[in-house]
Amino acid sequence: MELITNLLAGLWDASGFALLTWQNGVMIGVAFVFLFLAIAKKFEPLLLVPIAFGILLANLPGSGIMDDLTLSQAFGGDGSMATAGSHWYDSGVLRILYAGVKSSIFPCLIFLGVGAMTDFGPLLSNPVSLLLGAAAQLGIYVAFIIAIVLGFTPQEAAAISIIGGADGPTAIWLTGKLASHLLAPIALAAYSYMALIPLIQPPIMKLLTTKKEREVKMTQLRNVSKTEKIVFPVVVLVLIALILPSVTPLLGMLMLGNLFRECGVVDRLSDTAQNAMNNIVVILLGVTVGATANGENFLKPQTLGIVALGLTAFIFSTVGGVLLGKVLYIVTKGKINPLIGAAGVSAVPMAARVAQNEGRKYNPTNFLLMHAMGPNVAGVIGSAVAAGFLLLMFQN
Amino acid sequence: MKFNPHFLGIFTDIYGSYDAMDIPKALLVALVGFLTVVSMLAVIALFIKLISFIFSSIEKKSASKVETLISPVENQKPRAESTGSALPETESQGELELIGVDEPTAAILMALVSYRTDIPLNRLIFRSIRLVEDE
Repeated sequence: MELITNLLAGLWDASGFALLTWQNGVMIGVAFVFLFLAIAKKFEPLLLVPIAFGILLANLPGSGIMDDLTLSQAFGGDGSMATAGSHWYDSGVLRILYAGVKSSIFPCLIFLGVGAMTDFGPLLSNPVSLLLGAAAQLGIYVAFIIAIVLGFTPQEAAAISIIGGADGPTAIWLTGKLASHLLAPIALAAYSYMALIPLIQPPIMKLLTTKKEREVKMTQLRNVSKTEKIVFPVVVLVLIALILPSVTPLLGMLMLGNLFRECGVVDRLSDTAQNAMNNIVVILLGVTVGATANGENFLKPQTLGIVALGLTAFIFSTVGGVLLGKVLYIVTKGKINPLIGAAGVSAVPMAARVAQNEGRKYNPTNFLLMHAMGPNVAGVIGSAVAAGFLLLMFQN
Repeated sequence: MKFNPHFLGIFTDIYGSYDAMDIPKALLVALVGFLTVVSMLAVIALFIKLISFIFSSIEKKSASKVETLISPVENQKPRAESTGSALPETESQGELELIGVDEPTAAILMALVSYRTDIPLNRLIFRSIRLVEDE
């Protein structure tokens, strides 16, 4: 009888119920909410489903799915690492996959896919879009200053502020290098706000523009030759990489993907980068980033600060883009609709769609989508340059 | 192999430690960072202007060569491009004979051909558009 009691007690002690903390419980609830938002409300489901599931997996206690055994060995006992169970492959399966985030492999591969999916045509036909893409990085620097005021370290402030670039892979890339302990809240904040762009941006766009400005119909874009589209990624990469070498991993992959798309001789590679490879990396990136949201590390007052700063960054980035749009409206004597400036916050193509929808609200015959795609893809380059600058300033 | 000399960030190189960060320095970093992004993208914008200028010049040259080659035939008709000036993109070349087709329909057909063939209207010549009756 005693044997059975001991056996049952042992089973209970080893079960997840005995190990479950209140933090785990809250995070499991958060995972359920995210799954609901992704599946029922369709908020960025391609990213939110794997992220939410990663959160769920990491907060099921006792599974060891995110355990880092090599780390515990390194700090244990006499410092000897050559004991059984100390190999990297003895760590939890998601911890091993997480190496792809820590090493920047996943964000860079995502950029390869983004490049293969991006048409720089609207940007090439209207180069002034680049200035809108630059102005829409304003929120990064506003959030950086506020984060320093709030007492974050420069590396943490830089990682948090990049949420304003509205670019998930860039945020993960920079945070992995500067403040990897903040990866989960920053990645979650970045992707959550990207999903909420249709709610965040329109009030700001309306507040900063007049009805007359919102009704502006822009002239048709010029045709861009294939040669221009091929030359652009190669030369721009060389140009930027020589000025700001730290941005080369991200921009290099972005431009390689774009060259696959435009050169017309590697359709199979372009297709793989856009679809199969991109989807695989999104799964791995999403699950592993979600799995870093362990209850004990995630549920801190600091996380609320990061969420608030991320929203501030997003708002100021939108403000920057729209305000420069207004300046260009005046300079060009009403030829540029300031709404397209809001698309400069990256988040391709969600932000461009918001500009299109807002434009059509005030002028149903207005088609701003292709005009907004220019600042939108410029925002991708702009946020990568901003991340490169911050890395160069604060790398450890 | 030459390694990147910045093992630590530029901020540490200048101020000795990240602990030196205060609000004025944060403002300075933010300002320089924002100006860096703006200037980098402005350089790219200028570069795009430059390549579009180069490619449009090359296209104009090749177009004028083609024009010279076809001129013996085309000179028989009074044409806008005989002045040597480029036509606006929305304008087509040559005279068009419409047989049983009204002008709006012809305009739609020409736009469709231009779109499907990816050839601008100012590079296309339509001789005639004829309505074909079902027998």
